[in-house]
Amino acid sequence: MEIGYSEDRRQRMMRDQVQSRWMAAYAPVRHLDPVLVLTALALTAIGLVAIYSAKLVALTSQGRSPSEYVSNQLIALVLGILVMVILAVLDYRYLRVFAPALYGLSLILLVLTITPLGTEINGSQRWIVVGGFQLQPSELAKLAVLVTLASFLHNAKGEPHGGYVAAALALVLAPIGLVFVQPDLGTSIVFMWLTAVLFLISGVKVRYLFGLTAAGVGAVVFALQTELIQAYQVSRLTAFLNAGDASAAQSAAFQTRQSLIAVGSGQFAGKGLFQGTQTSLSYVPENHTDFIFTVIGEEFGFLGASVVLGLYLVLVWRGLRIAILAKDDFGTYVAGGIVAILTLQVFINIGMTVGIMPVTGLPLPFVSYGGTSLIVWFGMVGMLLNIHMRRF
Amino acid sequence: MASPSPDASAVLRLTLLSVLVIALFLALFARLWFLQVLAGDRYVELADNNSLRSVPSEAPRGSILGSDGEELVRNRPALTISADRQTLLDSEGEPRDDEAARVIDRLGELLELTHDEVIARLGSQRRSALAPVTLAIDVAPEIAFAVREQQELFPGVVTETLPVREYPEGVLASHLVGYLGEISQDELLDPAFTDYRGGDLVGRAGLEQVYEADLRGVTGERLLLVNARGNVLDIQRERDAIQGDDLVTTIDMDLQRAVEQLLADGIIASRDLLRDDGQNMPSVAGSAVVLDAKTGGVLAMASYPSFDPREFVGGVSGDYWRFVNDRQEEQLPLINRAISEVYPPGSVFKTASGAAMLEAGLVGPRSQVNCGPSFELGGISFRNWNRGVNEGPMDLSDALMRSCDTYFYDLAYQQFQREQNQDEPDEVLIRVAERFGFGVSLGIDLPGEQPGRVPGRQWRRDYHLDMREGLCSAAEAAEAGSDQQLLLDDLCQFGGAWRGGDAVNSSIGQGDVLATPLQVAASYQAIANEGVLMRPYLGARIVAQDGTVVREIQPEAIGDLQLDDDELGVIKEGLERVVMDARGTGRTAFSGFPIDRYPVAGKTGTAEIGGRIPYAWFAGYAPVDDPEIVIAVNVEQGGGGSQTAAPIVRNIFEHYFGLVDVEDAEFEAGAEILD
Repeated sequence: MEIGYSEDRRQRMMRDQVQSRWMAAYAPVRHLDPVLVLTALALTAIGLVAIYSAKLVALTSQGRSPSEYVSNQLIALVLGILVMVILAVLDYRYLRVFAPALYGLSLILLVLTITPLGTEINGSQRWIVVGGFQLQPSELAKLAVLVTLASFLHNAKGEPHGGYVAAALALVLAPIGLVFVQPDLGTSIVFMWLTAVLFLISGVKVRYLFGLTAAGVGAVVFALQTELIQAYQVSRLTAFLNAGDASAAQSAAFQTRQSLIAVGSGQFAGKGLFQGTQTSLSYVPENHTDFIFTVIGEEFGFLGASVVLGLYLVLVWRGLRIAILAKDDFGTYVAGGIVAILTLQVFINIGMTVGIMPVTGLPLPFVSYGGTSLIVWFGMVGMLLNIHMRRF
Repeated sequence: MASPSPDASAVLRLTLLSVLVIALFLALFARLWFLQVLAGDRYVELADNNSLRSVPSEAPRGSILGSDGEELVRNRPALTISADRQTLLDSEGEPRDDEAARVIDRLGELLELTHDEVIARLGSQRRSALAPVTLAIDVAPEIAFAVREQQELFPGVVTETLPVREYPEGVLASHLVGYLGEISQDELLDPAFTDYRGGDLVGRAGLEQVYEADLRGVTGERLLLVNARGNVLDIQRERDAIQGDDLVTTIDMDLQRAVEQLLADGIIASRDLLRDDGQNMPSVAGSAVVLDAKTGGVLAMASYPSFDPREFVGGVSGDYWRFVNDRQEEQLPLINRAISEVYPPGSVFKTASGAAMLEAGLVGPRSQVNCGPSFELGGISFRNWNRGVNEGPMDLSDALMRSCDTYFYDLAYQQFQREQNQDEPDEVLIRVAERFGFGVSLGIDLPGEQPGRVPGRQWRRDYHLDMREGLCSAAEAAEAGSDQQLLLDDLCQFGGAWRGGDAVNSSIGQGDVLATPLQVAASYQAIANEGVLMRPYLGARIVAQDGTVVREIQPEAIGDLQLDDDELGVIKEGLERVVMDARGTGRTAFSGFPIDRYPVAGKTGTAEIGGRIPYAWFAGYAPVDDPEIVIAVNVEQGGGGSQTAAPIVRNIFEHYFGLVDVEDAEFEAGAEILD
């Protein structure tokens, strides 16, 4: 019957329509997390302003363009957004397939840094120059280790037993060791922390966690005892304890002391953009990279510093939310791992500028000058978006 | 649902992670609150200390002028070579690099210094780290030119023009002017020098020292914004240095020149005098003081030998410093003998002791006392200076004219006996001598004035307490029964007692009486000024650079001789006759002097200091009717006062009254009267 047919057809069309509306509603592209992306962009913008301020006087006095560093960082931002889009569009589950390749590539790059191909800056060999662009493989390795470990633990299906734990440990020890000999103590700590957090989230038994913590502490003590950690590292690690000692101006405590003065003298409301004397007169070394937070603290005060911390908290909140909403364990682990790395880097970096953590040379995510770091962090945002979009 | 479900476990574990994350963030917030809000003020201060450096700019010192405005000391621009420490040296004080080392070598060649000397001067911490370090003052213009023309060979080296002290009159009045020296570490800690910095110059002697606060001016300051490398980026604030005020003194420049010349000429000429033993008169040193008879203002003051203040500009050399401090030669030219050296005043003290006898009521102005050849006391004979002649009865006027010792011995012993019988001895000599300015500081505006001493019972007791141990042990050590042993033993036991002999000696300005030439001059000023003792002073007024008078220093009466007209009259008469009476002890020195037009009063003195050639004294004033100036001269080991000191005073009067030019003045020794 025509009518019957048409009724049927209409019903089917309506069903299709409803279904496609539903389908559309669940389409990944409709489930972007704008708050996450905007927060990351806001932090990057603050970072650009701080980098500009940090380098303004120094560059001008050398007759160079004051926006030199900012333009470099903007190029990195564009690349970062590109990487973010790619990592968001590609279904994150494919990453599990790529994990071994990613892991292998990052290991190769890490090995290359400690060969003569690597570039040494300030006593540590962390960079490879590719076509005039300085690549920091340890930043890339963060992503690789995260994906590899998450993928590996995912295969444990929520019940990682002893063998799994041991295998996972073996996986991370290689990059930790390679980063450690650069030497880049900060990144090795990040790797260890990441492993610990992923073990925690993936349900590794509490007794293993305790055991591993004990082993970790033992390893640190052993490293200190046997001078595996070089003298300058120890002095940098302990310098923040005697930052008030004026005689230490030339020593490692100088950085921490100048950093404290910068942040402290910002007071509640800050000295105003470009008004920070500690910043503009180069009293704080490395204030466009590791010590970028001193610029924020000095020129924008407690208010500005709180805004930055607040933005990080927003990222953490979005990240944890995504970890909980994730469709599979892999997603949860990746999102949880990103939150873990972010939190630790923010804590160590800001902690060292305010004198409660040792000076270890970790960049402040999104804010510090450094292209690789920025690109990798936008890559991480891309992965979070990816997990968020495909949570159904 | 299985318990615990994997999902629930994951959420639980993520919650655990959240708690951890929030704890870390809270720690950061808390720390930032502490740093920025609670302790922020302190860090603001530290940040300012970091970036703001204050660089002082020296204020030119004020000038020191004579009474007529002629300059005694002024500033002149001196070419200096300075270098920026930070360009050439690293933080360890070593050359920054090879290039810096080469620059240092070139500098050394130019300034005739060794490599290490240049580094030592550069590294001297006495100046602000940012101000260039002065390497050499007063370099030849061609050296400064060489640096300026080849600046590329001398990075960080600058030629500057800095004000330094200049003495247009050379050594003139060097003892009065004094000199400058770099401030010491101890002084920097002294609250009196709070606004001084290391490397600042301070007055080290003379008027430069006393009027430091007026002369110094206000140091300028530039507040510089510097970066971490120490490069100056901006001048935040600038305050110009304010030149110090000028000091106008009472010094009569013309008279000062003459007095210095005449004193030196007289002392040197007197060395040609032959003594009885055939030796030349030593005339080691001497001094002269010329005061305004009415105000006490110092018109001239000279101390021989003198030093050259120019040697102190830019830091005194080791050689010169050793030379001026050489004790062996006993020259010690840095000492202003007119105020800092004490001598027994000898017979010039007889005015004061005569007044004391009048005060005691032992004699009236015209009472006669026999001037015998000697005065016997306890087996000791105190002889008159003229050895054995009985000069017969005299009043005070005669006694001064003839400088009769026995007149004073007799009266002093009578007074001694009286005092011995008093429960609380009224030591009249101490009391009266103090009215003349003896035994006390007069408060002249020069550093290092000595108060001298008029001894009495209290002084003797204190002195003996100090010396006793030495005397007693010397007595024990001496040969038993010898004269020396008896004397030492006596001194050990009874040395604390004031004895008749002490009183007798003191009455003629001998024994333990000590006075400075300034005190002697001041005592005659009081006589010339109708009994009013004025404070001797040099600073007349402080004048700002724009000519306004900042402070006028008024003459100040500091004592009264408390003599009635008869008493003062008899003393004055005696002093006039010393010079103008045919029998006066000072007559020969003034032979040919026009005393009818310029009547002079004065007193000779010859001070004995154990075993040495006597010290010559003369003090006087003129014109007698309305005295204008008072002069006192002392020549160490110059023989008799009439012989050596009086002729110098005569020459000064001749110059003052315009009778003889300094160039034509001749030293003509007077009679050898050892009064």
